[in-house]
Amino acid sequence: MRCERCGKELTNRIIKINGVTFCEDCARLMGYDRFLRDPSDIMGNPFAPLDQIASSLMQMSELDFGNSTLTCPKCGMTLREFENEGRVGCIECYNTFNDNIVREMFKQQGNSEYAGRLPGQEADTDIKTSEVSRIKKIPRPRIEAVKSEALEDKGPATEEKVQDKEIKTGKGGLTVDQLKKADLGMLSDDDLAEGIKVAADAEEYKLASRLRDELKGRKEGEGNV
Amino acid sequence: MSDWYMNEGRDNDVVLSTKACIVRNIKGYNFMPRLDDKDCQSLLETVDNVIDKSVYDGGDATTFDKMTVVRLTRLQILGREATQMTNPERKAFYYNEDASLSVAVGSGEHLTVKAMAPGHDISVYKKVEKAATELESKLDIAFSENYGFLTSNVRLAGTGLKILYTVSLPAITKTEGGIAALTQRVGQYEWSIYPFSERGEIADSDVYIISSVNTQGVTEDEVLRRGEMLISDVIKAERACREEIATKKKDQSEDIYGRSYGTLRYAGMISRSEALQALSWIRLFRDYDDSGEIDVSCNALNKLTMDILWEPAPPTRKSGQSVSSMRARANLIRKILKGDK
Repeated sequence: MRCERCGKELTNRIIKINGVTFCEDCARLMGYDRFLRDPSDIMGNPFAPLDQIASSLMQMSELDFGNSTLTCPKCGMTLREFENEGRVGCIECYNTFNDNIVREMFKQQGNSEYAGRLPGQEADTDIKTSEVSRIKKIPRPRIEAVKSEALEDKGPATEEKVQDKEIKTGKGGLTVDQLKKADLGMLSDDDLAEGIKVAADAEEYKLASRLRDELKGRKEGEGNV
Repeated sequence: MSDWYMNEGRDNDVVLSTKACIVRNIKGYNFMPRLDDKDCQSLLETVDNVIDKSVYDGGDATTFDKMTVVRLTRLQILGREATQMTNPERKAFYYNEDASLSVAVGSGEHLTVKAMAPGHDISVYKKVEKAATELESKLDIAFSENYGFLTSNVRLAGTGLKILYTVSLPAITKTEGGIAALTQRVGQYEWSIYPFSERGEIADSDVYIISSVNTQGVTEDEVLRRGEMLISDVIKAERACREEIATKKKDQSEDIYGRSYGTLRYAGMISRSEALQALSWIRLFRDYDDSGEIDVSCNALNKLTMDILWEPAPPTRKSGQSVSSMRARANLIRKILKGDK
């Protein structure tokens, strides 16, 4: 095992602070020397003053919960500052607050493993903007327009065709397609009644029932007034 | 060349803009919150030396006059927050001719590379990646095999990539439970949605930002694919809701649509929220209006919406409601609508 700060091989003593492994020298340099004190220094001495024991216990409690005192040796950012701001001060902070950063990443993203591209390289993607088909503008079906279209004078040659169309579509000239697209609120009661017949003849039962419901609704509405 | 958001984009009835943003830091410097002024100057010089001046304009933020700041805010290179231009001596902004590609130095991270396009256009990713890789090849970038690209904001560490779609969702917003359902859907893709508003502001429009979240555990390709699937769903859902409202509540919708146009076209003074609401109704109903009396293109709607949303923040929020602000806003709207007809 090596010191994560200087890379030196660890032999006698391993100091692990907040999940980061340090050698004794680095721990001392980074101001963690109080954690290096051997408990036997105190416990082995039966005459150790009580305040010294109390002070050591306090330091141990700092070690246990003591993330608040953890400080980045390079930029001086404390763990408390990182926890409050969600930002680190330098690259070294990633080593110093390693555990906390990993925890934060897990909390936010459910993952802390890098899977992206390397510096200077392009990502392996050929994605194109996806096509989203657009709903066509629905023209307002005007009853007058529909009628006039059906009865439009197309000259003697087409007169027969117009008449045929009228027979197929009913007196009002409404076709099944036009009825399907129509805003039912715009149709008169007579048109609705006629439309029910046209739809039923064309075996468009769903459309016929919609027209019937609209007509029924109007009649009920009149009753309530 | 016209500014980027003046161009016609795909699916621009719903998507106002697509943005891709990559953040990077340079080795040897503390991150911005811990960078002293001397090092900051050195950082600005280092970046300035590698910026391709044949592509980018701009530079040191201290050289920007008031008009440039207003223009860059409208072009969405600067945020609307007044803090964007605090300590200009610690910042620099570079941007290309139509301002669709920019590099900000000292704004949150050392480098923020941003590409923007009107409407729905994921090609912004390739554009931002190209700009970022160029900088990566010239600078010593902070990178770790475990964490990826290192950033001061640990939520960005990893790919350092954010994809943002700015969308206008008047119909989903007006549909009961619409936004709640959409938020759930967006969460399933591990993305996020939030209303457009700056810190301390109440969201007063139907404009939302749909943003990628993950920078760890996913490749750039995966982020883009999820984003494309998600935005397609959002566009379809919004269009379906518009059709529902425009057909089932036709008379009411048509009435508000006409009134909204009248207000925008002829008002002498108009508040920000009133203008945004009116634009939102026009957006909702314009595809269903067959009277032919009102003709406003999606492009004009988007330009107006973005102009109003990105109005540079006044020193105090209240002064945005001053008579002069409201008059200036109404004049701008009238001018664009008049030109659009």
